[in-house]
Amino acid sequence: MKSNVGSLVSRRKWILVAAGLPILVAAWWAFRPEKLWINQKVSEPAPFASSTDPQPLYTGRLEGRAHQTSGRATIYKTPDGKQSLRLTDFSTSNGPDVHVLLARSSDENLTQEIVKGQLDSVELGSLKGNQGDQNYDLPASVDLQKYNAALIYCERFHAVFGVARLEQF
Amino acid sequence: MMVRNIKTLLALAALAFTFGASAYAQDSMKHGDKAKALETGTFHGKVHNTSGRATIYQETDGKLVLRLTNFKTSNGPDVHVILIAAKDADDNANFLNSSTERVELGSLKGNEGDQNYEIPSNTDLSKFQTVSIYCERFNANFGAAPLEKF
Repeated sequence: MKSNVGSLVSRRKWILVAAGLPILVAAWWAFRPEKLWINQKVSEPAPFASSTDPQPLYTGRLEGRAHQTSGRATIYKTPDGKQSLRLTDFSTSNGPDVHVLLARSSDENLTQEIVKGQLDSVELGSLKGNQGDQNYDLPASVDLQKYNAALIYCERFHAVFGVARLEQF
Repeated sequence: MMVRNIKTLLALAALAFTFGASAYAQDSMKHGDKAKALETGTFHGKVHNTSGRATIYQETDGKLVLRLTNFKTSNGPDVHVILIAAKDADDNANFLNSSTERVELGSLKGNEGDQNYEIPSNTDLSKFQTVSIYCERFNANFGAAPLEKF
């Protein structure tokens, strides 16, 4: 009699296991919870040979401040270590004594149209043209972690024409 | 004679001013014979933290390739890389509208690291402007990168 009850219990257990297992498997398949802590890392090379050409390091879109400004600012590095800022699809208004600078993107001055305080910046030279593609050499020692914004700046009137926040390419 | 000279000078000055008013620069960039970056953008995604950059390259033979760099998202089941016909995908919505047109680029190769995906040759990039990391099983948008001209 006792063994009969025991076999009944174990049969129920088996039915539960038989019914539960597919549900567990289905739930595992659907949610794959182990993927929450298992990372799958890949590292494919770029689909082109590019050891001799300048590589983009940082890039960002220009936003207008005091004057409408648009285009892209990208910092390139050549294999020999030289760095340059390149403006593409670039357009701003023409003006007197306009310069290209690097500044800190966290600088409050860059949210204003006119700089009132001291601007912490790196000079790259006079703006070559208010339209078109153009390159500016960077000083060898410039810290791009710190100076992470490109700035089109009118020195004469302390006017911020446009700013590009540079993000890692 | 003097007056004529001055007039000529004035005319030349006016001409110079007209053409000088818009200074057009055209510096070139050495590109070699490698692929050219057409569009780029950065990922945003809150529900499944997603970050990194998506760039579309055109190879010299015209083939389009999407490349993800500094890329990171959460691992998940049946995650795909798709292009969607939208300016951006909202973090809060997190699910794509069923009518959103999409181009399938394949299963996500890894949830971390640099990776390339071929884009079908007839894809209209002016229409499909956003990359989405999309979990097909739960219709969840892990992250999206709106693309802008490089």
